[in-house]
Amino acid sequence: MSAQTVTETAPVIDVVGLRKSFGSNEVLKGIDLSVTAGEVISLIGPSGSGKSTILRCLNRLEDPTSGTVRVAGFDLTDPKVDINEVRRHVGMVFQHFNLFPNMSVIENVMLAPVETKKRSKDEARKQALGLLERVGLAEKADARPSQLSGGQKQRVAIARALAMEPGIMLFDEATSALDPEMVGEVLEVIRELAQTGITMVLVTHEMGFAREVCDRVVFMADGVVCEEGAPEQLFGNPQTPRLQEFLSKVL
Amino acid sequence: MHLSRPRIGLRAVAGVAAAALAMLLGGTAAQAAPAPASQPAAVVQAKLPAVAPADLGGKKFTIATDTTFAPFEFRDTSSGDLVGIDMDILRAIAKDQNFQVDIQSLGFQAALSAVTSGQADGVIAGMSITDERKKIFDFSDPYFESGVQMAIAASNDTIKGYEDLKGQTVVAKSGSEGLAEAQKLAAQYGFTVKALDQSATMYESVKNQSAVAVFDDYPVLAYGIAQGNGLKVVTDKIPGGQYGFAVAKGKNAELLAAFNDGLANLKASGEYQRILDQYLNPQAASSGNIFQLAADSWPALSKGLWNTIVITLVAFVIALALGLIFGFMKVSTSRVLRGIATVYVAIFRGTPILVWAFLFYFGLPQITGVKGDIFWAGVATLALNSGAYLTEIVRGGLQSVDPGQMEASRSLGLGWGKSMQRVVVPQAVKISTPSIINQLVITLKDSSLLLTIGFAELLYQAQQIYAANFRTTEMLIIVGVIYFIVITLLTWLANYVDKKVNK
Ligand SMILES: Nc1ncnc2c1ncn2[C@@H]1O[C@H](COP(=O)(O)OP(=O)(O)OP(=O)(O)O)[C@@H](O)[C@H]1O
Ligand SMILES: [Mg+2]
Repeated sequence: MSAQTVTETAPVIDVVGLRKSFGSNEVLKGIDLSVTAGEVISLIGPSGSGKSTILRCLNRLEDPTSGTVRVAGFDLTDPKVDINEVRRHVGMVFQHFNLFPNMSVIENVMLAPVETKKRSKDEARKQALGLLERVGLAEKADARPSQLSGGQKQRVAIARALAMEPGIMLFDEATSALDPEMVGEVLEVIRELAQTGITMVLVTHEMGFAREVCDRVVFMADGVVCEEGAPEQLFGNPQTPRLQEFLSKVL
Repeated sequence: MHLSRPRIGLRAVAGVAAAALAMLLGGTAAQAAPAPASQPAAVVQAKLPAVAPADLGGKKFTIATDTTFAPFEFRDTSSGDLVGIDMDILRAIAKDQNFQVDIQSLGFQAALSAVTSGQADGVIAGMSITDERKKIFDFSDPYFESGVQMAIAASNDTIKGYEDLKGQTVVAKSGSEGLAEAQKLAAQYGFTVKALDQSATMYESVKNQSAVAVFDDYPVLAYGIAQGNGLKVVTDKIPGGQYGFAVAKGKNAELLAAFNDGLANLKASGEYQRILDQYLNPQAASSGNIFQLAADSWPALSKGLWNTIVITLVAFVIALALGLIFGFMKVSTSRVLRGIATVYVAIFRGTPILVWAFLFYFGLPQITGVKGDIFWAGVATLALNSGAYLTEIVRGGLQSVDPGQMEASRSLGLGWGKSMQRVVVPQAVKISTPSIINQLVITLKDSSLLLTIGFAELLYQAQQIYAANFRTTEMLIIVGVIYFIVITLLTWLANYVDKKVNK
């Protein structure tokens, strides 16, 4: 995995001219985006602007229509790339958690390390317990996902994504499906994670959180990057009318 | 005369591929002799050249016969042996004349073919002696005088003769001599004749009074009454044809002579009358309540039940495999694979099971020239049918799993196969289990349709028994209860396994 031994400032995510269409509907209209190692960025923008689609192109849950997407040193648009190998470097957290209901909490976390032969069962269990500890759910290890609250489910999902020790984490509206009183506990976990030096791309509607945690904020509208910059600048002094309008609605 | 003998409908087809195909094409699988031989009493026995010795020195002959034609040949309820008037007379003659018989129960038409083709030495199968048949066979002296007789409900005291039938309805079997005789009398005495297809239906309709009388072959009727089928006779039999033992024309003269000599000896000794009485005299009525009947029938029924369970389970395991393969094809991204699976499902859901049973057992051997195996023909029929339904169940199960599950698994770096195996399939199985159990029960019940190709499953065995003892309703209740118990147990077991596996 020499792929990640790159210099500090070299981009670990490098997207150039990314276009994506669903049928005749062009959702991404030429996206350029680059994220350096350890950087935490957030993607904001109105609903339907293509935020999720970008994120899903970063681990090829969607196939780009054109353009290049380089992630963790792999060229995702190369048909010969081993996509499963790429995905082991890129963790993803979904809006609706998508925990596996047919497994216990700890089995959810252990599944990938064991199945990809990265770890023995015992090692994986030890590691999984450590991760559950980290998200504050060690005592729920043997519970079923259905017995957890939404906030707890999302923390398990984060632990599950971390089990492959990815260099990059993608969050797609990780708190949008949660009751308000549970948002805090999940944001807390993400905030701590942001301080560990892991590269993160967050799609979020929590503007306050984005402002506090992120190194950079990218505003999207209608399938293009409309404006990007440091949070203070973007939120404090928006340049484009689109962003001004957007912020006036959400803040 | 028994030119077109009453048959137990579908089962008669069992060994006869051609007949079955004829039936598929809409004809009736009758084994009727073509010629209307119209001078039964005047039949003159051909004088045969060789005079046989009284002792054949233990020589062995192969004798072909029918499968079930009570009371002439049928399987004993408990022992499963072939018994009946033909069988008992043949064995008694063989003993008297010191020869041995190897009895082959082939079905009527097949028995005749076996003799003409030389595979069997003789045939005894309740066969009427006709001029037409005499061109191909040499017949023995007649060993049974048949005819048609009328029967009414045992409780009916108002009908004393044909004249009391005025304005009433009687029943007879389609295409039978009984129907012809009833129609002759109908005009004279002013009653209506209704033709029915099944013996059991005829008797039941007299018992439940939808008809006052039935006209049927005298021995069949007498045997039924002797078995306590709830009917009685008040008129004499209308004389009809004579039954004879036959060998291929010009062959086996010594066997024929021995049969005639032995028959004469049996008649002289009273053994002949004793055999007839055993089957046709009311004293021999089968007795006991339904529980006794169930106990007596259990040896035969348990064999049938075993066959039912084995063929159901074997077919279902294959069906599950088919359902998985085609179910996955249905959710695949390949249009070709989806198309193949869709065609498979459409074909087997869109056609009756019976068509495939006949095709696999009778049709395929004709095309390939390989003799059909009834068990595997049955397995193929059930498995392909059930597999089509399971395909849809599997497809539905897979599609009901949230696509986010597959995405989450793939995003962790698991391949498509691993994701299916560890994440999607376990959830799909859990969702589909009730439908799968349901399909198992349906397959078990559908296996009874295989009786039409002669597979000895539970209902087939029951039919064999009530064809012989006429206790139709009771037998059907008994098998109904057995099916119910087995299906209930099977459902419990499946649910138990489901709970253990799908926690
Ligand atoms: N699988 C798909 N098939 C067809 N259209 C799709 C598909 N996925 C997304 N789209 C369309 O692409 C557009 C962008 O969707 P996307 O989910 O990326 O938006 P988003 O910015 O994440 O919005 P939201 O804030 O509502 O999540 C939408 O118009 C959506 O309808
Ligand atoms: Mg989205």
